[in-house]
Amino acid sequence: MRLVLTKREDASPWMSLVSPLVAVALTLVSGAVMFVLLGLDPIKALGIYFISPISDVWALQELAVKATPLVLISVGLSLCYLSNNWNIGAEGQFVMGAIFGGAVAIATHGVANGPWVFPAMMLAGMVGGALLALVPALLKTRFSANEILTSLMLVYVAELLLDWLVRGPWRDPQGFNFPQSVMFEPEAQALRLMADGRVNIGSLIAVVVVILGAILLGRTLKGFEIRLVGEAPRAARFAGFSEKRMTWTVFAISGALAGLAGIIEVAGTMGQLQPSISPGYGFTAIIVAFLGRLNPVGCLIAGLFLAVTFIGGENAQISLRLPLDVTRVFQGMLLFYVLACDAFLTYRIRLVRGEGAAA
Amino acid sequence: MQINRRQVLQGATALGAAAGLGQPAFAQANPLQVGFIYVGPVGDFGWSTMHDVGRKRLEEVMGPAVKTTAVEAVAANDMERVATQLARQGHRLIFTTSFSFFQPTMRVAPTLPNVFFESATGTRTADNVSLYNARFYEGRYVQGVIAARKSKTKTIGYIAAFPVPEVIHAINTVMRGAWSVDPSMKIRVIWANAWFNPGREADAARALIDQGCDVICQHTDSPAPLQLANERGVFGFGQASDMTRFAPKAHLTSSVNNWGDYYVERAKAVIAGTWKPGDVWGGLNSGMFKLAAFTNMTPEEASEAQKVAEALSSGRLHPFDGPIVRADGTEAVAAGGRLTDDQIRAMNYFYRGVEVSLPA
Amino acid sequence: MTMFEAILLTIITASTPLLIAAVGQLVVERSGVLNLGMEGMMIMGAACGFAVAILTGNSAIGIVAAIIAGMAMSLIFAALTLGLAANQVASGLALSIFGLGLSGVIGAPFVGAKRDAMPRLDLPVLSDLPIIGKALFGQDPYVYASFALTFGVWWFLFRTRPGLVLRACGESHASAHALGYPVLKIRLLAILFGGGCAGLAGSYLSLVYTPFWSPGMTAGRGWIALAIVVFASWLPWRAMAGAYLFGGITILQLHAQGAGVRIPSQLMAALPYLVTIIALVIIMSRRTGQQTAPASLGTPFVPDR
Repeated sequence: MRLVLTKREDASPWMSLVSPLVAVALTLVSGAVMFVLLGLDPIKALGIYFISPISDVWALQELAVKATPLVLISVGLSLCYLSNNWNIGAEGQFVMGAIFGGAVAIATHGVANGPWVFPAMMLAGMVGGALLALVPALLKTRFSANEILTSLMLVYVAELLLDWLVRGPWRDPQGFNFPQSVMFEPEAQALRLMADGRVNIGSLIAVVVVILGAILLGRTLKGFEIRLVGEAPRAARFAGFSEKRMTWTVFAISGALAGLAGIIEVAGTMGQLQPSISPGYGFTAIIVAFLGRLNPVGCLIAGLFLAVTFIGGENAQISLRLPLDVTRVFQGMLLFYVLACDAFLTYRIRLVRGEGAAA
Repeated sequence: MQINRRQVLQGATALGAAAGLGQPAFAQANPLQVGFIYVGPVGDFGWSTMHDVGRKRLEEVMGPAVKTTAVEAVAANDMERVATQLARQGHRLIFTTSFSFFQPTMRVAPTLPNVFFESATGTRTADNVSLYNARFYEGRYVQGVIAARKSKTKTIGYIAAFPVPEVIHAINTVMRGAWSVDPSMKIRVIWANAWFNPGREADAARALIDQGCDVICQHTDSPAPLQLANERGVFGFGQASDMTRFAPKAHLTSSVNNWGDYYVERAKAVIAGTWKPGDVWGGLNSGMFKLAAFTNMTPEEASEAQKVAEALSSGRLHPFDGPIVRADGTEAVAAGGRLTDDQIRAMNYFYRGVEVSLPA
Repeated sequence: MTMFEAILLTIITASTPLLIAAVGQLVVERSGVLNLGMEGMMIMGAACGFAVAILTGNSAIGIVAAIIAGMAMSLIFAALTLGLAANQVASGLALSIFGLGLSGVIGAPFVGAKRDAMPRLDLPVLSDLPIIGKALFGQDPYVYASFALTFGVWWFLFRTRPGLVLRACGESHASAHALGYPVLKIRLLAILFGGGCAGLAGSYLSLVYTPFWSPGMTAGRGWIALAIVVFASWLPWRAMAGAYLFGGITILQLHAQGAGVRIPSQLMAALPYLVTIIALVIIMSRRTGQQTAPASLGTPFVPDR
């Protein structure tokens, strides 16, 4: 007896609704089993995991703060992956964006400045992220050097550069030589949207980026080109689209978005540069991009979903006293289910008895 | 089966209530809930593990009067949320156990005026923020004295995490201790660029031993360098916890972090309503850290080390008494003077004779 | 022992886990599958290997357990990506998260436990050779295993028929299928092999390199192994060169620091990454335009019927 997959002729809307629900149901059931085995009340545990992160205005703000970098980065990565460019170095581009944007904040620190500072920081952050991303693009188009390696290695280089800056030239002169930059001036911080809570203008920008990304992919020639280069590179070549130019374009866009996420995180959440500014957002965003099916709106939903699981895990540590590792196992299981159920969307799955033709 | 909107909403409310949300903080007046936020995993066998040992000690001593919660491996980005969530669940005393949490603590503290924060290192206090740390450098001085006695090559190997003042003044102090025995002592330093990375720490230890260092000091958390020292037949010191068993032939002593007593003191202060912001920097005499039993030393060596530790503990000996000359030849403090605590905490230079480079 | 021998010995120790993991992953990618879950499989190998070695008091059983743990992890990946044709990149990353968590749960009771490192295995006569003798032939069994694996994988891929079939699956799964080869079965075996190698590499960390358990002790080595496969252009001997280049620069920069070279430590630490990039560019610029990645890499295969 074995599983046989058949490709669906066209993904039915009914299935695309049912598949996430099946994933959720499976997760809830096996999560409940796991929590019972751990000696916990399963209803309470699941409530903490999935309801507490969306239970009130403050929690929703935190959800937005956590999801913003994931969404921003994953929209850019989607463009890369759609066109077969394997940028896995968004973490480094995120850091580089924070460095370039942070440079503006530090240069304008303590001098007369105006409302242009934060926009200038965002611009600088996008330039920084894009510049770092263009290195793998250059090496790929010019030397055929594989971008998986080059983009990944540059992550570590960017992190070490930030480390050197905040321990050396950019160290806060009044900070007892601790590794941190000055606190950014109010003009250099992302505008908070609500009086109490941390949600800032970055979350709105992320939504705008999602909309722009959706328009780019769905409604423009460039979007068509991106998808065509990925799906049918030969056809794209016949159509006169340049793969190299495409590589440059998508790396620049995704680098700029990762850099934007970096500077928004630093100017919105942390208020200064520290040696470490990302709990792995650039890598998590890769999962977000694929869970969102490389579709900007999908990235928004997947980013929020991942953020729920992260915050749910924190809350489970607090309210259930679960160790971090157990929350990670649960998060991993959750992702497995979602990915598995995704298959129901694309394929018709049947159980076949006995030996069939070799698969 | 038909499910209407109302039933769904009721379900959601039930879940929300079950999750313990929306309950006002003052509903939990008794026992005192104490939160701990760690920068690493509880099992890092170093910094975070020892804070967790302190947490358990607090529970043990205070019994039902406290209830503790730990959140592991928290990034600075997430700290404000974790602290707020702890407060919303009724925690009134929160220990934020890393310098990377200091600025987030200073930002979140004013929004939670009923919560007392204790930040392990920082640069200033606030109405509801205290600072605490231990004068680990006193242990480093003892290590220097022992190293000078044990070393045949007259070269100490130092595996350092990052060039921060805490590490820089520790390196200087090790050498001061060593020079008090033998002015010809030298040091080699390798920056691991990590507080905890067992493989890299081991590689650094190998490199230092290959370069002729025969006593290894480590300012990183894993037992890897000490194990390496054991394997290669040189000596080493344990960090954060008593690491004797990892290196029965190499272990000289360990600097053992001991936060539990401080945690008990601060929890009692909150319960008694006497908590005040403070800036505690406890030395050997405070018990915030201890030296593990001296091993692999002759009785004379051990008693000398013991005497030095007692002199430091009583204040008769101070590692930052002048004269101190910087590597660039300028004088940091003249004979008869002593560096202030703030000067020690901000130290960003090596002493003359310590030939190590610093970034920028 | 001379300084040269000492450094060589350290470099071999640092490179071996990278090489073992990379060679395993190389076979997986040659079959057309991209498993980014290396870190998760490696750390599970480290945790299970150490736990079982402590419980049984026997390193060999620990190693077997580590290999089984790595394979079990890869089986989850195979079930998702082959059984359900789920996205390989996302499944691999999810596997990493899962593995980091599960290894922490399994390892928790063993934090602070200690074991002596496995003894070295001196090969008689050879280990007495001057200069390289001690470094190459006075090593722990893993080092010999890593050499044997590299040779074995090269021989299998390029000198045997099943190896040819495996490569065919990676180049064009549709053609391989049309020729009647069981693409999914071959990929399953490749994934299991890769998982076993990752588990083995993980056990090297917790049993030899730094003989204790601590969460997250792989510290990104799974990712480096992944990069080494790319660096190698999917060729086994070049994977060895890549692992030793990376390990070598890592160790040499530590030696340079110890010797008091006045360069910021961050730049030193960045050298292995920078040198790897530059080396790849130099290699590639000599043979421009050549496509080296398996053509079907990362694309799911669902047989039409």
